[in-house]
Amino acid sequence: MTGKNEDPGSSQTTSMPANDTMSSKAGALLLPPPEKPEAIRTRFKVIAAFWAVIIFLGFPIWWKTTSIYRARLPIQDMVEWADGKSCRPVFPLEIHFETPSLPESEAHHLLRATQHTLDDLNEFSAHHLRLKLSGEGAVAGHDDMLEQPQPSLDGKADNALTVRLLPQENLAAPRSELHPDTIRLDVYYPPSQIPPPSASNPPLSAYIAGELQNLFTEEKAIIAQVLSDSSVGGTNPLAPSSANNQQQPSVVLNSISPQLAESITRRLRRSMKYAETYHLAFSLFTPGSEPASWDVQTAVEEYISPLLQAFTPISNFTVDTQVQLYATSAPTAPLPEYDETQAAWTLKKEDLSAFINAAEWPLSPSIGNGPTINFILYVPAPSQSPMVVKESSATGWIIPQWGGVFLLNPPLSTADYPSNPPHLSQETLRPAFLTFSHQLLTLLGAPASPASLPFRLQTLIRVRAATLLLSASSTMGSLARLTESLPSIPIPANVATSVSTTLSHLTSTCEHLREGRFQAALADARVAEAEAERSFFEKSMVGQVYFPDEHKVAVYLPLLGPIGVPLIVGLLKEVKRVITSLKAKKQQT
Amino acid sequence: MIVLSLLPLYLLVALSSLTYATSDYHESLTLQPLPQSSLLASFNFRSNASQESFDERNFRHFPRALGQILQHAHTKELHLRFTTGRWDAESWGSRPWNGVKEGDTGVELWAWVDAADDQEAFAKWITLTQSLSGLFCASLNFIDSTRTTRPVVSFAPSGDHSDSSNLYLLHGTLPGEVVCTENLTPFLKLLPCKGKAGVASLLDGHKLFDASWQSMAVDVRPVCSSPDGCLVQIEQTVDIVLDLERSKRPRDNPIPRPVPNDQLACDTSKPYHSDDTCYPLEKTSEGGWSLSEIFGRTVSGVCPLGDSQSSEETICLRVPHERGVAVSEGAVETRKPDGFTRCYTLQTSSAFDLVMPAQEATTHVPLDEPVLRAERTIVGHGVERGGMRIIFDNPSDTEAVDFMYFETLPWFLRPYVHTLQSTVTGRDGVRRQVPTSQLIKGTFYRPAIDRERGTQLELALSVPAASSVTLTYDFEKAILRYTEYPPDANRGFNVAPAVIKLGGHENPIYIRTTSLLLPLPTPDFSMPYNVIILTSTVIALAFGSIFNLLVRRFVSAEEAAALTSQTLKGRLAGKVLAIRDRIKGKSTKVE
Repeated sequence: MTGKNEDPGSSQTTSMPANDTMSSKAGALLLPPPEKPEAIRTRFKVIAAFWAVIIFLGFPIWWKTTSIYRARLPIQDMVEWADGKSCRPVFPLEIHFETPSLPESEAHHLLRATQHTLDDLNEFSAHHLRLKLSGEGAVAGHDDMLEQPQPSLDGKADNALTVRLLPQENLAAPRSELHPDTIRLDVYYPPSQIPPPSASNPPLSAYIAGELQNLFTEEKAIIAQVLSDSSVGGTNPLAPSSANNQQQPSVVLNSISPQLAESITRRLRRSMKYAETYHLAFSLFTPGSEPASWDVQTAVEEYISPLLQAFTPISNFTVDTQVQLYATSAPTAPLPEYDETQAAWTLKKEDLSAFINAAEWPLSPSIGNGPTINFILYVPAPSQSPMVVKESSATGWIIPQWGGVFLLNPPLSTADYPSNPPHLSQETLRPAFLTFSHQLLTLLGAPASPASLPFRLQTLIRVRAATLLLSASSTMGSLARLTESLPSIPIPANVATSVSTTLSHLTSTCEHLREGRFQAALADARVAEAEAERSFFEKSMVGQVYFPDEHKVAVYLPLLGPIGVPLIVGLLKEVKRVITSLKAKKQQT
Repeated sequence: MIVLSLLPLYLLVALSSLTYATSDYHESLTLQPLPQSSLLASFNFRSNASQESFDERNFRHFPRALGQILQHAHTKELHLRFTTGRWDAESWGSRPWNGVKEGDTGVELWAWVDAADDQEAFAKWITLTQSLSGLFCASLNFIDSTRTTRPVVSFAPSGDHSDSSNLYLLHGTLPGEVVCTENLTPFLKLLPCKGKAGVASLLDGHKLFDASWQSMAVDVRPVCSSPDGCLVQIEQTVDIVLDLERSKRPRDNPIPRPVPNDQLACDTSKPYHSDDTCYPLEKTSEGGWSLSEIFGRTVSGVCPLGDSQSSEETICLRVPHERGVAVSEGAVETRKPDGFTRCYTLQTSSAFDLVMPAQEATTHVPLDEPVLRAERTIVGHGVERGGMRIIFDNPSDTEAVDFMYFETLPWFLRPYVHTLQSTVTGRDGVRRQVPTSQLIKGTFYRPAIDRERGTQLELALSVPAASSVTLTYDFEKAILRYTEYPPDANRGFNVAPAVIKLGGHENPIYIRTTSLLLPLPTPDFSMPYNVIILTSTVIALAFGSIFNLLVRRFVSAEEAAALTSQTLKGRLAGKVLAIRDRIKGKSTKVE
């Protein structure tokens, strides 16, 4: 301080040249002797020691204690699955021919001709039909095996359909008949139409091919829709392989009628997401006190249980029922209006979404894994009976991905004032439960045609296998993207295990599909989907979010600031000194 | 012709009622005026489901939401209580239902769970509490292992259980839970008539939780009358003690006003009686009230589910027979021979109201004297140690009372059981220290484990006739970890009430003490940050001086000045001065 004051004081009076002598004089007088090399070396060592501790001890400890465990994931494989590069789902359907009245060579010939016609008709190569004579692969005359399709463990392809050729006299043209409770198509033909071995395109085989083509049109359209949906929603629609995949479904989708396409997309939108277990809840709601009981047990046994039995290869079901009295509609819900022409109280179609009073009606989902499908039987108050939907006079409707509603208008008692019957018999419940069983099929995603239920279930198995395969693949892709975009989240080891299980099951699903073993494919796809969901929704992966790094830095700033500044300044000075001394050495030499 | 055509319908109705006789429903309401212008209203709703339909999940009167939870958690018998307020045994006498349908302040839950071993039972218990928490909008999910106990003798199953089932009793309490409307709404939703018909239509959250004392109970138990015909019974009970004066306040103007001077009943014989001084007289007339006045609404008919409903007496009133009561038209009154009870059979669909005009009271309904009075307080001072004092008073002059005393203490309250002492005080006020073994017939004690489970203490006690027994023991308060304190740590920590069980398994009487508030040493919650900052500063200071000592070069003051002039800063200062000099020189030249 004192020196500073003197210096300007002396320079004040002198001119510029005098300043030089002044400073040189001061330098000669006051400058300390140059530092000893030992002192410089000691200082260098001290600073180096501090930095050595920081770099070799501090940083590793900090790194070790704050790092998070990230198990290695096969990101490349996962992305490939999501982009559809790893697997192109194909659906080779095996169709067995039973020709009890034809000699083998003729049967073979017929088969070849039909196959040829079919291949010409089909423009969607992912889904194609392979015809087989019953004697070759499966055991002939196996009628009841179709009732409950067994998973083929022996590596043989599932039988998608059995075609039985039966000669029938006095028929002008061949006709076919699909059994409603098996997967068997009977084709009756006039014996005169048996093609001679020389004919290249006999009318009988053209007829059979056309019939088969018709039977599988809807399934083909659904699968095409599912495949095209997934590739549009995929991460990389421009990838060459997925573009290749996309082309074919779109061809199929263009070829089907717009009504069918519309109904398929609507059904796909309505149907529930696939689950291992569905909980079915049948509820009787009424705004008054009657009816207070219903024959629900026998009704469920009669109309729903057979259906659930048929679904066992795909999903499991639990059923519970309840009666809820004094269930009024929400105060904000629009009231039904009386329609003179229909002689009924009517609900507008657009108001149906507000019909369920979600706040007050006890429709809590069932406990346990799996979604709940609600079926509501609503008996309107006697003053508002009968109640129908205005536009269509319908009494039931589906709430997409949630359940179904049925308005039951039982005959009112003819006492002094009309009242609902106190008990609903099974006969009264019949229309409601038939509607519910239909709604259940729709909600589970079964196709609307043809009439044979086992056939529709087989279709559903294939569709579900495809859906699960695609959904598990896309989950893998999402997980891969998530882990790459958030480097701060931990990845526990069990996620890596789940991912590898998913990938291996996806591979085997794809393999099963290619071989035509759809039951096995579905089983594998179920495992893959469950594992994929488990890995994606792992709880410990989101643990770090609530304690950000900035917070820690802020808390420890009083320590890091005062320690860091002298250390860094010391380092800079030392670096500067080393550089100047190096330069000086260079100049000397 | 008409009769003939109706006949099959009647047959059908009769047949269906026969088929579903196992699934019935009963409800009742008992009103009893209590001293100090209070009114006890006991609502009871009971419905049955056959075990078969319950197992097949065909729920009719039994609520589906609760049934699913019980099946999912393999719970065979369930008791759930929501209680607020304090039962004033001094003036109101013994408790309704002998205390069986009431619980600890807050929420109390105990259940018999079917499980293979204790661990599995606890896992199911956790499932049960979590699910019930969602159903009843209560914090039941906070019943963890520290709040769960396994009472040995204080609770016995009230249902009929098959011998093959392996049942575990688990018990949990939440003394700090505030019971309110959000618990009543799901409670009412469990009723088949949803509080829209029948006596449940009186239950309104505003009035119910304005009561001096209220208790809501849900009991589910299996009842087997015959070996193969078992029923699952759900009984829901609401008991409230309403302050009549308070309930009669109009809803739009609820602020209490002082009684005008000329309406005060004063004891004029007092020497200090004057215009502005009044010694109030005990009222001899009972104030008038009506259902619509105190509940804010009338009973809307009956819940038309019970098959024998037409002959059932739904509402009972316990007042002397000479008391005048007016009821709505259509209700049929039946007087009971005991002289104090009359019951009403309601019309199916018309509203029911009950009006009690003000009347001079001549006789009173006799109230049962409680068999035992119990009081439990925390004594001591300071934040480190404290003591518990429990006083049992036996009002009987002739008979000793034997009972079970059950208490659960949180783990941060560490009792010293060796300090347990007992004093007997006779009616003459003489205190005698007696050895505890003389009063305590049996002890079950399960010590606490920090952060894992609480203390469980069950004592079989006996209080001699015409005396009161004081039990005391000391305890130590633990210091919690920083994160274990709740947001309102300075309020104190709730200690669950003690449960006293008198009598055998057949007709037990339960008494519960009030819950306690335990103040624990609470830290200043900004402390960790203060500590971090202070320590950091000290370390930084020490580091800075040591580092400087090691790295700096030491020179004399003159040398330092010279060095400063060589640095960038020194040279800059010199340049600035030189420029200033030049300007000054110029200005002098001009002059």
